[in-house]
Amino acid sequence: MLLRDDFQPRWKLALKWGWLSFAVFILMAPVFYTMYISFNELGFGAKYYIFTFQWYESVFSDKQLIGSLGWTMLLAIITLPIVIPFGLLSAKLYKQSQHKVGIVFVLLSPLFVPADILGSALLVFFKNLNKFFTLISEYTGIYVLESWFDLGIMTAVIGLIVYTLPYVFVVIMITMARYKVEQTEAARDLGASAWRAFWEIEFPQIRAGVFSACAFVVILTFNEYTRTSLLKGGFDTFTSVLISQMLNTGMSEESYAMASIVSLVAIIIVSIILIVTAIKTEELEKITRVVKEPNK
Amino acid sequence: MAKTNAIEVKNLVKTYGNVYALKNVDLNIADGEYFVLLGPSGGGKTTLLRSIGGFIRPDSGSVNIKGQNVDDLPPDRRPTSMVFQGFALFPHMNVSQNIGYGLKLKSIDKNIIENKVNKMTDLVGLKGLSNRMPHELSGGQQQRVQLARALILENDVLLLDEPLSALDAQLRKDMCIELKRLQKTVGISFVHVTHNQEEAMSVADRIAIIADGEMVEQGTPKEIYSNPKNKFTAEFIGEKNIFEGKIKDFNKTKVVVDIDNDNIEFANNNYKVKKNQKVSLSIKSESIQIKKISKTNSKILNNQIVGKISEITFLGQFVRYLVVLNNKQEIQVRSYEEIVNLKVHDTVSLSWKLEDFLLHQN
Repeated sequence: MLLRDDFQPRWKLALKWGWLSFAVFILMAPVFYTMYISFNELGFGAKYYIFTFQWYESVFSDKQLIGSLGWTMLLAIITLPIVIPFGLLSAKLYKQSQHKVGIVFVLLSPLFVPADILGSALLVFFKNLNKFFTLISEYTGIYVLESWFDLGIMTAVIGLIVYTLPYVFVVIMITMARYKVEQTEAARDLGASAWRAFWEIEFPQIRAGVFSACAFVVILTFNEYTRTSLLKGGFDTFTSVLISQMLNTGMSEESYAMASIVSLVAIIIVSIILIVTAIKTEELEKITRVVKEPNK
Repeated sequence: MAKTNAIEVKNLVKTYGNVYALKNVDLNIADGEYFVLLGPSGGGKTTLLRSIGGFIRPDSGSVNIKGQNVDDLPPDRRPTSMVFQGFALFPHMNVSQNIGYGLKLKSIDKNIIENKVNKMTDLVGLKGLSNRMPHELSGGQQQRVQLARALILENDVLLLDEPLSALDAQLRKDMCIELKRLQKTVGISFVHVTHNQEEAMSVADRIAIIADGEMVEQGTPKEIYSNPKNKFTAEFIGEKNIFEGKIKDFNKTKVVVDIDNDNIEFANNNYKVKKNQKVSLSIKSESIQIKKISKTNSKILNNQIVGKISEITFLGQFVRYLVVLNNKQEIQVRSYEEIVNLKVHDTVSLSWKLEDFLLHQN
């Protein structure tokens, strides 16, 4: 274990944990400060602090903010059922393939392209695709495909898929690494079809990873600004509203409240994922120990 | 009446790139036979077993089970069940659910499944453990769950891929007895892969030796152990001493082979040999008698060679003597009793019964 050494003095161990806690605190301090401000009736920069829930109340009456929240959730809901199976299949392919480095490189490459460049590239690509389909429509008289790639939900979702797939792939791949393929073979041998072997044997064991990936997609959808702003067309997302408010008028107190809600939800989700993963890991380690040392 | 074949394998070939995992393997396994595929790691025995089970598609050749060609059938449609090396129990299901999973897939009535699962848990000695999760079981118990899960489907053939390799020596011995008992009870063919010759000998009706993707030799455990036809088999089975030499002389009853500085004389078991032909000889370490040479018994007979003891090791049931011959070759001798007056560096004579040496043509 990383921070444990049976022979080191207790104060050294305490120092290590203290340092780790301090690092986490520094990382999370801006989020906690945002939450702190969100409860101040006098808002950011005020000399006095008067505790209130009023900004939270007004968040739910801010139609633009609530509307943008709805659009963001919609994008996440549409992205999820596309990107999760895609990531799952990619992780399965990775596990079975002998060309693991190549697969990792291809799937993680969107992470290495700057967000604005990838967003612009997709924008240009969709514009050209639209022109191409318009041309085809004019020649054939079939107008079905003409406006498929107009900026809107579909293009924003494609942008999100490109952005979130590497994360989904990595999270599922890590969970899947512990799964023993022999169990699928055993299920097939007992008469299960490939689908039933996956659904009844493999999926229950990688479920934590799949649910974690779902949570990551939702969080990343809230987090994403550059690509979505370029590809979304006419509607507003939560991040785009937040940033435009900051650029135009500075952050409103409602924005602090909204940011706090989103941060809190994200922290809760990630904490649950970590706790469930830790429990599952401990269970799996127990099983592995029994298999490795069968006579104990 | 001759037994019918449960499995017929013809000309099976499987390659991985340029490497042959199986080279034209032929095999017949009778109904109700306990058949063991024995050989060194990487020899192709698991590939052969997985080809029979449908987990590997061979490049060419055919597999028939109970007279039916199964070349194009996936594992779930073959009349075989498999016991895997790494247990492969479903960790999110308890013992009963693991054992009954195959029946559940067949949409059999829940009460019937419960009945059969109960019978099977009794048969494999898991009574009272039905609700335990796999990680709450010992290695031996996990292997019993695997056996029950495979046997409950009442398929024609049970395939066992190194089923005892994760168990300790004593448990392995117990499980060998258990496997043999189970096979007699259910009466179907068992095909068991192992690299452990003691395990193979203790369970098999017949053994096939497989190495480098080829079928080296087949026979009963006694034939394979006592009279191996092949040099590889002789080396692989038991603690065999192998000698390389040339035929010096032979007649209808005896053969003499020159191994550098010594002559070895043994019975001619209708060997077709000629003078100066290069041959290999083998003798089991327990078939050699070892005796200290003293001034009073220094005469060397034809079926004797002389060497010096280099090591004496007490191994529980027997004592092993390592003896270095004049040509520097090391010979192992097993004695079930410690010979009191023998010490390291003693000069000893090694003798044998004429029929104990076996000749293998190179």
